[in-house]
Amino acid sequence: MAADEDNKNQVLKENWPNEVMKDEQNEGLIGEITKENIQLKEEIQKLEAELQETARAFQIKEDLPETKIKFSLAETPENDNQFSNVSCSFQVNSKVTYKLQKGHALITFEEEEVAQNVIRMRKHLVQIDNVDVEVIAQPVPLNSGVKFQVHVEVSKMKIKVTGIPDELPEDQMRDKLELSFSKSRNGGGEVEWVEYDRPSGSAVISFVEMGVADKILKRRDYPLTINRSCHRVLVSPYVEEHLKKYQVFSGLSKRTVLLTGMEDIHLDEEMVEDLISIHFQRGKNGGGEVDVVKCALYQPHIVYFEEETDVI
Amino acid sequence: QTLSALQEEQSRLKMRLQELQQLKREHKGSPQIQLPFSVPEIPLVFRGHTQQDRKVPKSLISNLRICCPLPAGSALITFDDPKVAERVLQKKEHVIDMEECRLRVQVQPLELPMVTTIQVSSQMRGQGVLVSGFPASLKLNEEELLDKLEIFFGKTKNGGGDVETRELLQGSVMLGFVKDEVAQRLCQTGQFRVPLGGLQVPLTVSPYMSGEIQKAEVRFQPVSHSVLVFNIPDVLDGPELHDILEIHFQKPTRGGGEVEALTVVSPGQRGLAVFTSETC
Repeated sequence: MAADEDNKNQVLKENWPNEVMKDEQNEGLIGEITKENIQLKEEIQKLEAELQETARAFQIKEDLPETKIKFSLAETPENDNQFSNVSCSFQVNSKVTYKLQKGHALITFEEEEVAQNVIRMRKHLVQIDNVDVEVIAQPVPLNSGVKFQVHVEVSKMKIKVTGIPDELPEDQMRDKLELSFSKSRNGGGEVEWVEYDRPSGSAVISFVEMGVADKILKRRDYPLTINRSCHRVLVSPYVEEHLKKYQVFSGLSKRTVLLTGMEDIHLDEEMVEDLISIHFQRGKNGGGEVDVVKCALYQPHIVYFEEETDVI
Repeated sequence: QTLSALQEEQSRLKMRLQELQQLKREHKGSPQIQLPFSVPEIPLVFRGHTQQDRKVPKSLISNLRICCPLPAGSALITFDDPKVAERVLQKKEHVIDMEECRLRVQVQPLELPMVTTIQVSSQMRGQGVLVSGFPASLKLNEEELLDKLEIFFGKTKNGGGDVETRELLQGSVMLGFVKDEVAQRLCQTGQFRVPLGGLQVPLTVSPYMSGEIQKAEVRFQPVSHSVLVFNIPDVLDGPELHDILEIHFQKPTRGGGEVEALTVVSPGQRGLAVFTSETC
């Protein structure tokens, strides 16, 4: 028993320097990897910040089409806020643009299954101008888009005043504004509160009575009396805007297929579109009902992808 | 143990770095938004519209709804023909003959706010996360789903914290936390199994991109078919007043014509008129 113990100790003593060396090597390696990982993390953070900055700079600027509006129904207001504002809301869905390269085409099928089947088959021999052209079907690589709701409220109780001369201390100017805008002979009325911003020379004035703001807004400017001199200040509606349900999304094309391999075709685009449509309408070619085909044979085209559920 | 964990972390970091470098390369050639994280997918379709079609706007506008309060003692009259509305508005005051008396009322056009231009920018919202990956088979209504998510992500043991805002989006949910670090922590974890409708549902948590209006131009647009009648004296009750106004404004001799809709707000009452786009 004792001999066994001695043997064990002997083995441990002999191996001990190796173990220590191994540990030291490991520690060195751990230190090295830790250092590398810290550097990697820093690089990742830097890149993420860069990309997020670019994303932050992403803007959608849209001139909205003129819309004809019609009376729909009458409701009872649920709360006082509804009665003190005219509210306008609508949904905006950005269309996702795609650059259709020269020699490529897009085909949209009525059925998703047909489109997926065409992609699965991948290679298709399409007869164009009596020549079998090998066309490759693949999913469309789409960019991201945004969708959101816009809510605008135009107050029936408040107005915005701009062009206020910087002639008095804040408190005094607030009083002068209240005095001027409560004069009924100028279309004013009892003022509830005044919010004056001296640096911008603007103010928001809230009235007690409904209808005063409307009356004042019928004129572009309004007389503001300061120490016996009369200034004309500009009046405009008080508008608040905000977004709801803002969502960045990634586009996924389920019914539209990208066709490539037509770089050497120099025919009329419309004619080629018809030939592609005929080929892919046939069940024996793996196709089905076709909605639309678009070819780019001479130059790239910028095309729009829209949300599936939208009806135009 | 520590060494293998570090090596594992290193390979994960290297993969992430490659992903980001690829994104950066892609971004250079693309004017569109590219994000350093995944976002929910939404099915899109090509319907034949190209940039050459001058009439095609870059965005689709839908669900337009304008709510306009109507003052007490007023009526909103909508005519079939906008020319009739124009004719009615030529006279600022209308005198309505009744058996015992005459009603004097004023008319004016109704102008409603319309956004003509909007500029929106996207930015990272520190306190917000996007929760996605909900199965289509999930049988929960909006309120139930939001409650369950708030309960789960409100717990510190799940890496969560106090939820300040919540909003259901298409196929995903936005949760806003009081503290930035909660959102960051959840995004780092990325994957969660959340109990929803009796199932453990695997969900993805990613950073939330919020939008901000940089500029919006609002123009007031007259409603071509409608006229606001106001200052109606308090002499008749609602239904009777409705009939008398309709009779008067249908008479071509008074500049009127076919009335499509008439809403009366009696004195002492409040009304709200809702308008939508003609194409809706």
